[in-house]
Amino acid sequence: MQQTIGYLEGEVKVNKTFFKTGSAIAGTVVLLASVTACGSNSSSGGSASSSDSPPAASSASATASTQASEQTAAKAPVKIKYLTYRVGTHASAKLEAEQIKQFNAKYGKEVEVQVEEIPSDSAYEDKIKILAASGDIPDVVMGKNGINDILIKGNLATPFNDYLSQDAEWAKEIGDEALAANTRDGKVWSISDQKQTVGYFYNKDMFDKAGIKPAQTWDEFMSNNEKLKAAGFVPLALMTGENAWTTNLILASIVGTSGDAGNKFMNTLHPSDFNTPEMIDALGKVKTMLEKYTTKDALGAGYANAANSFCQGKAAIIANGPWMIGDFSDTTKCAAGFDQKVGIAAFPGNGMISSYEVGYMNGGKTQETRDAAEKFIRFKTGLEGQRIALEFGNVVPVSDQVQPSEELKQKYPLLVESIEVGNQSQVHYGSFDSIVYPNVTDAWKLLYPELVFGKSSAEEIAKKLSEIAAKNK
Amino acid sequence: MTNYKGYITLFLVPTIALFMLVYAVSIVILFGTSFTEWSTGLKPAFVGFRNFIDMFAKDTSFKEGFWNTAVWVLLQSTVHVLIGLVFAIILNMKEFYWKFARTVFMFPNIISGAAVGMLFLCMLNPNFGAVNSIVRLFGDSEYAQNWFMDYATAFMSVTMTWLPYAAVVTILILAEIAAIPDSLFESARIDGASELKINLFIVIPMLRNIIGTCVILAGTSMLQKMDIIMMTTGGGPGNTTLNLPMYIYKTAMMDNNFGYSNAVGVFLIGFGIVFVLLVRYLFRIGSSST
Repeated sequence: MQQTIGYLEGEVKVNKTFFKTGSAIAGTVVLLASVTACGSNSSSGGSASSSDSPPAASSASATASTQASEQTAAKAPVKIKYLTYRVGTHASAKLEAEQIKQFNAKYGKEVEVQVEEIPSDSAYEDKIKILAASGDIPDVVMGKNGINDILIKGNLATPFNDYLSQDAEWAKEIGDEALAANTRDGKVWSISDQKQTVGYFYNKDMFDKAGIKPAQTWDEFMSNNEKLKAAGFVPLALMTGENAWTTNLILASIVGTSGDAGNKFMNTLHPSDFNTPEMIDALGKVKTMLEKYTTKDALGAGYANAANSFCQGKAAIIANGPWMIGDFSDTTKCAAGFDQKVGIAAFPGNGMISSYEVGYMNGGKTQETRDAAEKFIRFKTGLEGQRIALEFGNVVPVSDQVQPSEELKQKYPLLVESIEVGNQSQVHYGSFDSIVYPNVTDAWKLLYPELVFGKSSAEEIAKKLSEIAAKNK
Repeated sequence: MTNYKGYITLFLVPTIALFMLVYAVSIVILFGTSFTEWSTGLKPAFVGFRNFIDMFAKDTSFKEGFWNTAVWVLLQSTVHVLIGLVFAIILNMKEFYWKFARTVFMFPNIISGAAVGMLFLCMLNPNFGAVNSIVRLFGDSEYAQNWFMDYATAFMSVTMTWLPYAAVVTILILAEIAAIPDSLFESARIDGASELKINLFIVIPMLRNIIGTCVILAGTSMLQKMDIIMMTTGGGPGNTTLNLPMYIYKTAMMDNNFGYSNAVGVFLIGFGIVFVLLVRYLFRIGSSST
């Protein structure tokens, strides 16, 4: 019995040793395999890209849009990566989903768009910048807020010149102005998908009760604010957090309508000197607005706070683009019937922010993915894509050929009004977001509190903006 | 024994390989590029110590960020650890509420930093925030303190989003207290020591190692803190709540100045190493408690 037990013990020991050795080797192999797998995955991606010449240097041969469908159907669809922040509650989420859906229905057999959703604009920008630093950008990139500069400098994007010269129809659908807006040294680096025409929305009931009409001059605008306040209303829905969007639209308009110098400044890409009389005067006016005529949470508030203040009838004016019009009849955001109370106006001096979005860039690394990315971008920015954007996102199209349908006009009469106001406006300029460096856009949220709490004067803020712009690499 | 050496080597290989891939390579690149001018799209160009000289000689934002970081490290490694220690000692009395209190105290630690930031952003909102609403209830109907954007309250408001929530410290110390032999407590009680004296002269001295460890954990957590600042103040107003991680983020992602950003990163790592060594020395971490 003892011998048997001893034999069994010996067997158990042998088994234990075998088990230990086996599990140690197995564990190591599994771990190493996972590491190697990660490495091989990325390296295969890298080899694919390295087999092609740099995008900007290579000659982009456009795929003819009339390519025989039988041929393409026989091939596996080309996979392209596309990151989007237009998801969830984003104002453009519906139009994005619809564009992708319709593209898949039409070209799904040729191109497979692998969509990765990013939860916010800033997270998207950060992610693309990090990917750009490693040279591994998606095939289709939105060039907003300085991303275009980084991709151009890093030779990570392909210009659209060859594609456009081979498809005159597409070039016509985008229009010369929109193409020129994204052209540098003769190269079209991105295709704009929308035109920004921004004035301000106002609460007609509040205006009536205060006995005022949309102002023609900035002095009248300030006087209106005083009258609204006297009537018991908060005049302006401002915010200085995030990119200080609604506040900066007013700041841009004060500068842009202040005369030739101010208008030239607001139409200059990457201004470096903010220490101008127009800018200092505008900062002074905005300081007064933040001190006296806005909600108590405006300093540090995000866009959602400002939008809520307007939609909930707590503020009389919000500067914003027509994409907000859909919100006014959305009862989850505004009270029922609120859309009937909203009017739209150009800024004093008959000015409107009118600029073309940077739009989409082609980051494809191989000729195949570049062509596929171009097909996707062409769909999104062509007449079809613009029409979807207008119908599903109240986005102003870049082409005059796209007009709102009768159904849309009836559903959103304010949209028609906004287009009319845009057409009647005489002074045009860009938004700060569209002209300044990204670090300047990021600085407003720190500088506005300095201005309002008296830590820095308007002159000092202007000087600081110049210093921040100079830091941009 | 030879076999064990083989196992040790075998098991260490994946860890070392992962460390080399994830950390070592990154740190080498970080150090290397901190001596360069480097932005996305351009190749790094060697500039010697220029980034480091600029940091100390010209950059007021860096100095403000460093000062705030140092203050937060100090607060977290003292006040925060003290709160956790006191709470642990109270819980160790094992009164009827101790399990409930331990669980509730843990809640803020299991919520992500971004969510905590959003939570405080709402609670401290000047218009609809709970704090201002309570003040309004007690008299001043116009009270609208902007806690995160007013220079007078911004730093304190951000600090309060993390300083009191010391559940991790409490749990670590509770575990260490449980390891103290009961015979020591019994002897002290027989000698007539009160609970206060037992805690002051027996428990706390025997916790020196774990308190030192908690000081390191709490202090170094401030060298990584960015999520809540990002969600609440963005470093403002001005640079009132700017810390070095936030400054590194801004320099890299907004200024597109990766070389300079990495130089600040190198400084932050150096600061962290000095802090850890100092705490190890002060608490004689690793040496016997007796």
